[in-house]
Amino acid sequence: MINDMCDSACAPEGPTGMDLWQLLLTLAVAGSGSAFSGSEDSSEKPKFTKCRSPELETFSCHWTDGVRHGLKNAGSVQLFYIRRSTQEWTQEWKECPDYVSAGENSCYFNSSYTSIWIPYCIKLTSNGGTVDQKCFSVEEIVQPDPPIGLNWTLLNISLTGIHADIQVRWEPPPNADVQKGWIVLKYELQYKEVNESQWKMMDPVLSTSVPVYSLRLDKEYEVRVRSRQRNSEKYGEFSEVLYVTLPQMSPFACEEDFQFPWFLIIIFGIFGLTMILFLFIFSKQQRIKMLILPPVPVPKIKGIDPDLLKEGKLEEVNTILAIHDNYKPEFYNDDSWVEFIELDIDDLDEKTEGSDTDRLLSNDHEKSLNILGAKDDDSGRTSCYEPDILETDFNASDVCDGTSEVAQPQRLKGEVDLLCLDQKNQNNSPSTDTTPTTQQPSIILAKENKPRPLLISGTESTQQAAHTQLSNPSSLANIDFYAQVSDITPAGSVVLSPGQKNKAGISPCDMPPEVASLCQANFIMDNAYFCEADAKKCITVAPHVEAESRVEPSFNQEDIYITTESLTTTAGQSGTTERAVSSEMPVPDYTSIHIIQSPRGLVLNATALPLPDKEFLSSCGYVSTDQLNKIMP
Amino acid sequence: MDNKGWSLKGSLLLLLLLVSDLLLCQSVASLPICPSGAVNCQVSLRDLFDRAVILSHYIHNLSSEMFNEFDKRYAQGRGFITKAINSCHTSSLSTPEDKEQAQQIHHEDLLNLILRVLRSWNDPLYHLVTEVRGMQEAPDAILSRAIEIEEQNRRLLEGMEKIVGQVHPGIRENEVYSVWSGLPSLQMADEDTRLFAFYNLLHCLRRDSHKIDNYLKLLKCRIVYDSNC
Repeated sequence: MINDMCDSACAPEGPTGMDLWQLLLTLAVAGSGSAFSGSEDSSEKPKFTKCRSPELETFSCHWTDGVRHGLKNAGSVQLFYIRRSTQEWTQEWKECPDYVSAGENSCYFNSSYTSIWIPYCIKLTSNGGTVDQKCFSVEEIVQPDPPIGLNWTLLNISLTGIHADIQVRWEPPPNADVQKGWIVLKYELQYKEVNESQWKMMDPVLSTSVPVYSLRLDKEYEVRVRSRQRNSEKYGEFSEVLYVTLPQMSPFACEEDFQFPWFLIIIFGIFGLTMILFLFIFSKQQRIKMLILPPVPVPKIKGIDPDLLKEGKLEEVNTILAIHDNYKPEFYNDDSWVEFIELDIDDLDEKTEGSDTDRLLSNDHEKSLNILGAKDDDSGRTSCYEPDILETDFNASDVCDGTSEVAQPQRLKGEVDLLCLDQKNQNNSPSTDTTPTTQQPSIILAKENKPRPLLISGTESTQQAAHTQLSNPSSLANIDFYAQVSDITPAGSVVLSPGQKNKAGISPCDMPPEVASLCQANFIMDNAYFCEADAKKCITVAPHVEAESRVEPSFNQEDIYITTESLTTTAGQSGTTERAVSSEMPVPDYTSIHIIQSPRGLVLNATALPLPDKEFLSSCGYVSTDQLNKIMP
Repeated sequence: MDNKGWSLKGSLLLLLLLVSDLLLCQSVASLPICPSGAVNCQVSLRDLFDRAVILSHYIHNLSSEMFNEFDKRYAQGRGFITKAINSCHTSSLSTPEDKEQAQQIHHEDLLNLILRVLRSWNDPLYHLVTEVRGMQEAPDAILSRAIEIEEQNRRLLEGMEKIVGQVHPGIRENEVYSVWSGLPSLQMADEDTRLFAFYNLLHCLRRDSHKIDNYLKLLKCRIVYDSNC
């Protein structure tokens, strides 16, 4: 055994423990193999292999022959049977009636010996000793014979000439009495191509003919049928193989099978879809563009067509704006007179040559145009004493500037002065004695329904002393514009608003003309920063103002950032301040922001202020007592 | 193209319905042959036999499966098969035991025999269902089949009585049947004995259902098709 397993390359070795173990293993395998196969060579006694009844009328039993020990001969094996009849087992064992008909090592029981539904027991004896025993009923061992008489007929041929259908017919096994219905058979057909190895099975049928579909014309087929009793599971033997040779078709028949052109369909499908997609895209280009890149909404003012603004039709715009009452800024609702001025810090350099007033009054178009070109947003808000038009675009503000009715979009800087001028023009009150309280800026603003050029308004009234000043723009140019910073726009520019005149009880423009000429409108009584220059101006006026107690309380009231003592101290000073005032140089209209103190205040630096006392003027805004003491004696 | 598709669908659906009908309605007796009480209702003998044969075939299949299931589950290694040559309670009925005998017997007698056998099984089937339910880990395969067999057996009995009424009208024999006395064995405390009793009962049931199936097929070919199936 070991030699068998080992190659010739194996080194011849002496029997070791491992070799012995292998020997045992092979022996065991061989022994079990022989046991499984049930081969005759190794078994000692005969065994029943099969008992079978082909038609439920007879049956036969087969057994394996006995061992080949050489001593036993086949004749000594005997089969005995016993069948139960009418509840008695008293019968004796009978021997097999026919040892021949069914072949060697078999026993055939013909119909007289066969009883259905009766239990049988058979036993095999060899030399008197029972070697095997089996019990069964005949209806349990039914295995029909194979059908006979297979034949086929052609049913039809496919249009393509590739496939054909055939009908296969057969006869039931002859010994099965299906005609009388004693046994009912079921048949199973199998077929395959000649050179194939795997049989194709069809479902069992009760009839003796069955169609076979879709056979190829250029192939040869084999067909076989087997049967079983309908009630049982065991099939009989297969019938003889039937060879089916289909007729050859004309040569022009298709060689290849029709394969569904998946590939072409996919290609064309994709192509069609792409075409449709492109058509869709191109037809709805605009809309797709809008879907993909939605337009960013441009800032708009409700009710105002931006085109109007571009084209410069100020009249229409102004009228439109006048109509809308809700253009007041929300947080200044109570302050109807509040006007918004945008402080343009960047443009300080431009202002060096002259004050803004010059430009406004002199109809300086070029400069205005520059200003126009510099900024182009709606944040600049000005009004012409018109609370309704507080929130207007720069166009309206420019209109209100009144320098000209022609559209001169211009930042209205230092508008307060102009406002005062306007007011004076419209007041018809030559003196400030007229109740300034009544002269509410709101009223003034209300009057100013239409934008009027200041000059025109100036020309209308002759009563105002300021008129002279109006006509003299140059003098106005010397007036400094101070404004309270009311807000800081996100852009970084400062929104200035003139101080409250109402609270002061006196409008800055209600100052006596001689006073107003110097201090007009610059006195923003409440929440007002006073530049030093302004303070100086007012100081000169102070004596006059003192006569009118209005002035003083105005100074003393609320958030005036000039300390009252400074004012009072300076009030007595007339000479120096006069001097200072008289020697006043053109004050720059724009001031730089020095410190941001609070949301409502800024310390402004007066730049390029050619005043004698620069030190005093350097920190415009808070005037400390020290500084004032320096100035004043 | 829609019409074609719809007609195809409709025909497929119809076909499906028909096939399902055929498959589901194995028990023809479930369909009322004649509404109860109708006197003049006449279903052809052919249809009666067809339905009876279908029923008997169905019962035999169920009993075979049940026996195999039981054998596989409970009877392995117990050596029942050698012992199960006990008589069935219906052995007392002298039924033909081979083809010649069956061909010689008159069909009326044969029909009566069938009726007797069917009646004999009413009681055992009922008890079989009850006892299988009481078995430990009542196997559903066996129980469901037992229930089904009991019901179908009743239906087959009704159908056979109708056939007898048509084939052999007028004569109505007494209800003869074999009494089954195996109930005590089924209720034995000893599990071995009890299981053997079950095995025996199922074996007998399989055998008798095969017998009835064969008789009916024989009768059908003989009566309906004139021995030319």
